[in-house]
Order: sequence, then C-alpha cells, then structure tokens
Amino acid sequence: MADLLVLGIETTCDETAAAVVARAPSGAGHVISNVVRSQVEEHSPYGGVVPEIAARAHVEVLDIVIAEAMRQAGIGFSDLSGIAAAAGPGLIGGVIVGLTTAKALALAADRPLIAVNHLEAHALTARLTDGVAFPYLLLLVSGGHTQLLAVEDVGRYRRIGTTIDDAVGEAFDKVAKMLSLPYPGGPEVESQALRGDPERFAFPRPLFGRREPDFSLSGLKTAVRVEADRLAPLTDTDVADLCASFQASVVDVICDRVRAGARQFRDIAGCGPTALVVAGGVGANIAIRLALQKTAAEIGTRIAVPPPALCTDNGAMIAWAGAERLARGLTDTLTISPRARWPLDPSATGAKA
Amino acid sequence: MYILALDTALTACSVAVLNLETDSVVAGDSVFMERGHAEALVPMVEQVLRDARLHFSDFDRIAVTVGPGSFTGLRVGISAARGFALVAGKPAVGVTTLAALATPFLAFDDSLPVLAAIDARHGHVFMQMFGTGGRTLIAPRIASTKEAARAAAMGGVRLVGSGAGLVADAWPPGEQAPVSCETLAAPDIAWIARLGAAADPATAEPKPLYLRPPDAKPQDRARIARV
Ligand SMILES: Nc1ncnc2c1ncn2[C@@H]1O[C@H](COP(=O)(O)OP(=O)(O)OP(=O)(O)O)[C@@H](O)[C@H]1O
Ligand SMILES: [Mg+2]
Repeated sequence: MADLLVLGIETTCDETAAAVVARAPSGAGHVISNVVRSQVEEHSPYGGVVPEIAARAHVEVLDIVIAEAMRQAGIGFSDLSGIAAAAGPGLIGGVIVGLTTAKALALAADRPLIAVNHLEAHALTARLTDGVAFPYLLLLVSGGHTQLLAVEDVGRYRRIGTTIDDAVGEAFDKVAKMLSLPYPGGPEVESQALRGDPERFAFPRPLFGRREPDFSLSGLKTAVRVEADRLAPLTDTDVADLCASFQASVVDVICDRVRAGARQFRDIAGCGPTALVVAGGVGANIAIRLALQKTAAEIGTRIAVPPPALCTDNGAMIAWAGAERLARGLTDTLTISPRARWPLDPSATGAKA
Repeated sequence: MYILALDTALTACSVAVLNLETDSVVAGDSVFMERGHAEALVPMVEQVLRDARLHFSDFDRIAVTVGPGSFTGLRVGISAARGFALVAGKPAVGVTTLAALATPFLAFDDSLPVLAAIDARHGHVFMQMFGTGGRTLIAPRIASTKEAARAAAMGGVRLVGSGAGLVADAWPPGEQAPVSCETLAAPDIAWIARLGAAADPATAEPKPLYLRPPDAKPQDRARIARV
C-alpha cells in the first residue's frame, strides 16, 4: 500500500492555511508543505479577531495559499488521496470559505472529502510529530479551548475536564490587552514574564487541589486587573511583574489540573496514558512546557508537544487528521454542513465547543 | 466553448452550463434558497455536470456572482468558483448581481435606463443605474430607498431586483413614475454565464463586492493607564 497524500485546509479563525501531509501505512507521517498566512495585521487595530474581517480575508487568499502549498509539495491535485478541511468548530464565515473550497477541489479533482474537526486535528497532531500511540492524555490549551481529554482512538475522545469560564489563551490575551501589550497577547505576556518577578504578586490559583480536573481562569484575570488598577499608572517593571506573577499562577494551575486529569484518565482507560500531549497555541509557552515536563514525569509518562508552528492553527494538522480518518475509510459527502460549534466529546455536559 | 456559471449571492442557489456557440443552456438548476448555500451548491454542480455530460476540463471559464448580496452567500459561490478554477486551470470571472439583473432588460431595449436595486435591509438598497449600451449611469453603491429613488428619478426608468418595489414606493412625488417594476429575487443564471463569457478575466476578478464595510469597532476600553 502506498502513502496517503492529503491536502489540508484551515480557516476556522484568523489564519488562512493549507498543507500537504503524507501518511505511510505504518502510521508514520510527515509534512511535505505547510503554508500559513496570518491575519494578525488585519485584526490588531481591533484588539481581537473580528469575524467578518476574518471571513473577508480568507476568501481573498485561500486559493493562493492552496496553490502555494501544492507548488511547494511539487504535486498536482490528481496526486492527492484526499482533500481535508476544518469544518468547525470556529468562526462560521471562515469555516464556510474553507469547507466550500475543499468541496469544490474534491469534486473537480474527483477525490474524497474529509471534514475534520479542528479540535480533533489539534488532538492528533502529536501522532504526526511524535508518533504517540493511543490512549493518551491531551491537554488542549488554545485561544478558545481549555480541555483535558482521553484520546482513545481516531474519533474516540472523552472529555475529562474543561474550563468553566475563560480559556487559558483567552486569559493571556485579556491580561495583555489590559496592560496595553500588542495583540496577540500570549507571546507578549510570556516575554514580559521573562523580565519580571513571579513572586511579587500572590495571585489566586483557582480550583487548585480540586478532584475534578476542571479549570477556571476568570478570577485570576480579575485579580490581575484589581492589582493593576491599584498600581496605575503602571511602570515597565510593574507590567513585567504582573505578567510574571500571572504566568506563575497559570503554570501552577495547569500542572495541578493535569495531575487531577491523569488520575481520572486511569479510572476511565484502566491504564496510564502513553503520553501527555499538549496541543493548542498556549503550548508554545516555554514556562508552561517546562513545568508540564516535570508533571508528566510525576504521573509516570512522557510529554509530547508539537513544535509551535504545529501547535497554533495550521493546515498540516488538518491534513494529518484527514489522513488518519481516510486511513480508516472515514470520508464525508459534499452536502456536509460547516459547524460553528462541534464538541469533540458530544456526551460531555455543557461542552463549550 | 462551454462556461459554468454559479450564483449564491441572493436568495437562490443556481448553476448552469452554457454552450457559447449555440447560446443555449446545456443543463442547469435553480432553487429558491435563503440559507443553506454552503450545503447545496457543490452537489448541485455535480448533478448539473452529470446532466450535461461534461467535466471541468471542458470549460473555458467559470463565472460567479460576486455581489452585492448576502456576505455569506457570495463567499460560498466565490470559494467554489475559485476552487474549481484552481483544479481545472481555467479562469474564474466575477459578475455583479446588479449587472446580471439589469442586462436582460438592456439586451431587450437599451433606450430606457434600468435601475437594478437589491434589498439591503433597514430601508436600504444596493443599486446601480445602467443606460444606453449598458453604460453605467450611477456606479454600484448602497443608498436609502429614498436616495435611490431620487437619484434614479429620470424619464422612463425601469426597475429590477428585490429592492425594485421598495424604490418604487419611495419615488419622489411629481416625478415621472417608473415604466416597469420587476421584483426579481435573483438574476437569471443564463445571463450570468453570458456576462461571464463577455468579461475580461484581467479586470472581472472573482472577488467579493460587498459595498458595506465589515461591522467592527476598535476595542479600546479595559486598558489600564501606563506611565
Ligand atoms: N507563548 C505563549 N504563551 C501563552 N499563550 C500563547 C503563547 N503563544 C500563543 N498563545 C495563545 O494561544 C492562543 C492562540 O492559539 P490557537 O491559534 O491554537 O488558538 P485559536 O485557534 O485562537 O483557538 P481555538 O483553536 O480554540 O479555536 C492565543 O490565545 C494566544 O495568546
Ligand atoms: Mg486552534
């Protein structure tokens, strides 16, 4: 059996991305091309992603991004085994552009369409980059999601915990915004934190020590705001110290929640996870990565974090998830709907998305 | 010479294949539709191609309506057209909904001007006025129905489009009434194909014509003063 070659399209948020990925029958994968066009400049005056601006930007450039991914891969559409697109969850205007384009390509090239859940793509990326075997514990930490999941197989995800308010990336972004740091805020807060004193402010560690592996970030964000208001006007040192103390609190909370998640994982799966996989844009944060490395060792497993370019939104993860599904014969019809909301584990109550 | 035409910009989902030599529609379909274009369009193309017994490689180009219309709807059509064009290696060309609505009237008789008006909600219309030879008399714009009526109130105007009745209702008293008022929900797909065939791919790009800025306000609150 030959390798599967899959084109992946990602347009659920503020990156227009396309990539070609190969999957060998053994399950090994590699990225052949990976093109991302970020919309950060279009959104930065607004301090966040504006849905209509995002949709407008996607439709302007998506075909160009796809053509570039195909060119870099040095292949034609007839060489593909399938065409995958993120069909949600995300900003619906962008999802419609990506999914409709994928349907058109699939029909014109006479290749199967694979409608991929964006979160599933984040969840499966570690199998592409690190060859992780099932079942594993997934910490999904991005701008819109903060979840712990037991990944048992392709298409089998059980949610162990979730945030009850803000996502971790969202908290980073909101703290950055209140401190007038440029958008997107996560990397800015991290670089400020490097220069600051993580012990100057004793911010709360919400839900620390609880048995249920859920998250809560909004109280922490409020505590940062209260402290900043008290100090205003803020000096550069104040900003750095606020960021460092905030990040220290996030690191403690995440590690504690992962430990709680690992205990639940054992109860559910009957064995320990083969790995602790970190996915989503917050996985780019070095302090969080280093702390989780220790946590993984404590819970008797290894950590797998895809490189930052594959942690944030990208086409390669969509192509890879498409290849994983295609290898199991899972394809979709041209009538499939784009979805703004699409929980990975629909049985989980109050699933945020 | 065949051309594939797509339209999802207004309240229809329409696909047609036009044979340019015979000026005949080889196969086509058109369904009234307010939402659901993202699900319906590509399967409809698949069926129309099957009916026409043609493949993408048989087309010289792909024509698509670029608006003005529903932002989501026009992005569905444009995304599909650009996707087909990419695989087929043929150009996709954009046709405005306003031109597609007005052209059949002008083709029949261009001695009287035509105002194409599309309901843009909240008492507004997307409009364009055409004269002899299809010349633009008033460029595409968004206007209140009153403004549109005032601008269009010259002798013997014909109105067409989902906003035609709204403009007629706002007609300035004392001005010569429109000679006809055709409240069409969406353009005829065959005319979209013909306009696409006549268009210059270098200028008729398959890019959205929104006529309305995105709804977005810069967010500046929630910031704390810095030294
Ligand atoms: N170094 C970092 N430290 C902390 N947070 C970061 C870092 N880099 C990126 N982030 C955060 O990651 C988020 C972006 O990640 P990603 O692109 O995966 O999320 P998203 O696509 O916006 O959300 P989702 O995938 O849930 O829809 C932003 O909130 C950003 O601030
Ligand atoms: Mg993401």
